[in-house]
Amino acid sequence: MSTALQYTLKRLGLLLVTMLLVSFLTFLAFELVSGDPARTMLGTEATPQQLTALRHELGLDRPFLLRYLSWLAGFFSGNLGTSYSYRQPVWGLIAGKLELTLWLSLMSFVLIAVISIPLGIFSYRFTGGFANWPRTALNQLCMAVPPFFTGILFSWCFGIVLRVFTPGDFPGLREDFAASLRHLFFGAICLSIPRIAMTVRMLRSTVISEMNKAYVRTAISRGNDRRTVLTRHVLKNSMVSVVTFLGQTLAELVGAGIVVEQVLGIPGLGRFLVTSISHRDYPVVQTIVVILGFWVVLAGTAADLVNQAIDPRLRLSTAELGGAGS
Amino acid sequence: MKKRIFALSLVLAMALALFTGCGSQSAPAPSAEPSAEPEQTAPAQENPRAKTNEANIGIAQDFDSLDPDYMTAAGTKEILFNMFEGLVKPTSDGEIVPAVASEIVKSDDGLSYAFTLREGVKFHNGDPVEMQDLVYSVERRWTGDDTAAQLAALSVIEAVEVEGNVLTIRLSEPSNEFLAAVMNAYIIPADYTEQETAPVGTGPYKFVSRAVQDSLVLERFDDYWGTPGKLDKVTFKVLEGAEGLVLGLQSGALDLVAHLSSDQTVQLDSGAFKIEEGSMNLVQALYLNNAEKPFDDVRVRQALCYAVDKQAVIDLAFDGYGIPLGTSMFPSFSKYYDESLTDYYTLNLEKAKELLTEAGYPDGFEMTITVPSNYTPHVNTATVLVELLREAGIKATVQPVDWGTWLEDVYGNRNFQSTITGLTSDNMTARKLLERFGSEVGNNFTNYSNVEYDETLAKALRATDDAEQTELYRALERNLTENAANVYLQDMADLVAVRSGLEGLTFYPIYVLDISTLSWAK
Amino acid sequence: MKKRLNSYLTVGLIITGLMLLITVIGTFWTPYVPTAMKYGRFQPPSWAHLFGTDNFGRDIFSRVLKGTGTTLAIALSTVSIGAVIGTLIGAVTGYFGGIVDDVLMRLNDALTAFPSFLLALLVVSLVGPGKKYSVVIALGLVFIPSFARVMRTEFAALRNRNYVTGARLMGASSGRILFVHLLPNTVRVLLPAFTIGFNNAVLAEASMSFLGIGVTPPDASLGYMLSEAQSMLKAGPWYALCTGLTIVLLVFGVGLIGEGLQAQEREVD
Repeated sequence: MSTALQYTLKRLGLLLVTMLLVSFLTFLAFELVSGDPARTMLGTEATPQQLTALRHELGLDRPFLLRYLSWLAGFFSGNLGTSYSYRQPVWGLIAGKLELTLWLSLMSFVLIAVISIPLGIFSYRFTGGFANWPRTALNQLCMAVPPFFTGILFSWCFGIVLRVFTPGDFPGLREDFAASLRHLFFGAICLSIPRIAMTVRMLRSTVISEMNKAYVRTAISRGNDRRTVLTRHVLKNSMVSVVTFLGQTLAELVGAGIVVEQVLGIPGLGRFLVTSISHRDYPVVQTIVVILGFWVVLAGTAADLVNQAIDPRLRLSTAELGGAGS
Repeated sequence: MKKRIFALSLVLAMALALFTGCGSQSAPAPSAEPSAEPEQTAPAQENPRAKTNEANIGIAQDFDSLDPDYMTAAGTKEILFNMFEGLVKPTSDGEIVPAVASEIVKSDDGLSYAFTLREGVKFHNGDPVEMQDLVYSVERRWTGDDTAAQLAALSVIEAVEVEGNVLTIRLSEPSNEFLAAVMNAYIIPADYTEQETAPVGTGPYKFVSRAVQDSLVLERFDDYWGTPGKLDKVTFKVLEGAEGLVLGLQSGALDLVAHLSSDQTVQLDSGAFKIEEGSMNLVQALYLNNAEKPFDDVRVRQALCYAVDKQAVIDLAFDGYGIPLGTSMFPSFSKYYDESLTDYYTLNLEKAKELLTEAGYPDGFEMTITVPSNYTPHVNTATVLVELLREAGIKATVQPVDWGTWLEDVYGNRNFQSTITGLTSDNMTARKLLERFGSEVGNNFTNYSNVEYDETLAKALRATDDAEQTELYRALERNLTENAANVYLQDMADLVAVRSGLEGLTFYPIYVLDISTLSWAK
Repeated sequence: MKKRLNSYLTVGLIITGLMLLITVIGTFWTPYVPTAMKYGRFQPPSWAHLFGTDNFGRDIFSRVLKGTGTTLAIALSTVSIGAVIGTLIGAVTGYFGGIVDDVLMRLNDALTAFPSFLLALLVVSLVGPGKKYSVVIALGLVFIPSFARVMRTEFAALRNRNYVTGARLMGASSGRILFVHLLPNTVRVLLPAFTIGFNNAVLAEASMSFLGIGVTPPDASLGYMLSEAQSMLKAGPWYALCTGLTIVLLVFGVGLIGEGLQAQEREVD
């Protein structure tokens, strides 16, 4: 079997396991958390008969494992179930929101990657002297700004004073694509500012500690150009940590977007997730969580592939891992 | 590099400057005086929606079901009121008037009601309303296959009969609340199964589109039988979170938002908005679990009532907006409302301590107030109560829980010590506010149990004479106050921000927002 | 080893020391009772009320004094849980690889995907409502995956280095290699991760309060206060500014310490 195929199969396996695991954990969590979907659906005026009837209708009176298995069976046959609160198929409710959240996450990620990597490298070159202080201070300051605080700030300044976008009135990708992207862009900035700062810092400190390693010193003392050493060896080695960090960031962006979505009035997945949890709308939560699991594995795989391209030593070790695991 | 950092810091500095700019401009705002606006925003003429005769209304919670028989959230009923009507409907004066029925004849023994179908009533899909639709709509909520859709209040129905264009409903016993109950059985097309995604009713506005957690668009229904709506199109925007709605108003995205707090309305420019004040028509109280120690002792409950200054709660948490209440009834039900009960307990810490000592708690006690965290007004009330109770030596802590947990633990399983919530009546009768404190009643989550109350309640529910029933209801109110069933606080104010130029907002004694009377000033 | 502290470390320690001092003072003394509501709604900052008053008429300065301690305690314990457990997982998975790695990393992925709001609800349900530490446990769990992932990569990269192979050949036990040889070398990653984690913990606690599960209102954390303040930006902008800036200062101080420690370490090398 070729390594590529082996790798793909292994990754698909991981994907499956993660999604199974996360969906099971969610199911288990709902079993333990207090709260009853039938009651949230029927509200405060429900009679006990209505509650019992509805629980039966929803299948909530069946044993836990049975419910999980039937959900699983539905999932694999392409039936994501029906939302309890909205009485509509889950996929129809989620699709549009997923699209928005993906746009928001990807925009943030592109901002983070495109800004932080060059900035991090230059930030290394910009070491020493009195310039250190403002750089470090700015970096730390950016890290300390909570995205929802930036969100409020942007709403006030760009939304109300400058009227670049209208907080609370998301145009919709179909209706006005450009305006929607502009709206999302502000969310992406809020999300990415602290993360850019973190990545810059991460990259910088990795480069610095790498530069102090014996091999670099030797290389430089042998008369190699400092710049060449930096780009050829140091960066390559430093990128591994950074790429892992970026992969992690990509995985976390969806969850981190919840508050920003809330502040800027973006009808995305995060907001929907929180309300659905609060309403104990299991089918919706279950589907979103599986999507998130998929996303996390995807981000991890991407980081892995990039790292292997950078550092072949890692490829070897993955092959070993694959061998040990199978 | 230097440039980059420079640019970045410049942007940040600008943002900060702008922000502090916003801040300093607004510094004198708390007084909320209609002072001169320096560079003011969007007056009515500039609003593009005034030209197209549309309006955007912000709401804090998404709709649950659009099927009128399944909707349970008060916020959904409030809006869908514009799309659906029953045989009868409420007016803003609290009366019940004919709607889809043109005439209602009540038999002398009160055991049968004859509804004549109004001529020319059409559904939003263009079909005329027929007798079978009436039967279907009423029966579905009475004995339908779907238990979830049934209305408990319609269980007094014995039979539904049709003769020509008259629908006769026979009752098993006379009921003063029957008309109010039938008001909520909205008329929908028989056997129409797509109410959830494409609802069809007979109201002045019809459904256009909906995006879950985002918006609901309604359009004027031109074939409406009654006074048609004035606005062509109304969009309801869902904005969860306290600041979203305010930002939406300020940025010009929204024209009207109801149920705001005074903390929110002070953020608005008084030139661009008027704030209309109505009342929420609910009984906000510190509801006590009467079966739980120490609240099983009437003296402890009374001590709490003496320790809490209602006006202080209203002043501190609601900036003075709100009507203090002393029992489970609010002023909109003027017939039943007994104002003298409001000051039955006045702030008296000595008395409170005395009662606590008598009850065996000379050093006070510890208690937990469980509040649903998504209702900021209740959380704020709890925060203030903790402070007020401390003065009486009672150490209270606030326990915010999410809505699902609150419904299950507090309301469903009655596993709580005390909670803050607002009880309403969704059908213009006082019954709902009082019936729930009967000791055998399913939704008596406070576990209030009083023999005299149960007896009076039974008599009141049987009474056919209106005057007699009113008297009994008032006796029930007095019973709740005297036994300090709960620490009754207030009927919360309903502050509605309306963009200047948008006129015609009417308040109802029930929780509805009538959009058909709204219009832009010419 | 050089005794001289570098300037980041000095300033970081001064700021953090100041915040700690505030915490200590706040525990024993505040100018006003932090929960008393009798100083007038939305009073702008003045000499009597340094940070002004909030929507209930409480003295914000007193509340900030009190809240800093709460925030500090929550954030530190949260990150510590995340760092310790995350490092352990990262070490084991990164060093040994194989099936342990597969299993733990899948759990890790699942935890990343698992909504933190649901996790918090779960913890609250399990430990019982009203327990202050439930938010710490919930957030601590949330922080494990990021630590585990970063540390795993680090350990995996280090395990094939010559000195490790050397130690292994000399018969050192895995535990010894992991914690004596490798762990010190991961500090360059662990330290920034810890300071970043601290920052995130403060903010995560804020959003958790924002969503309604967290510290109960009367002894509010800074995060809770900030989430409260954002709906009063116009009526009382000082509320958001003062609590926001205190958070920024707190995080800034810790960040500088991290920076300084790293610089220190470089000088030692």
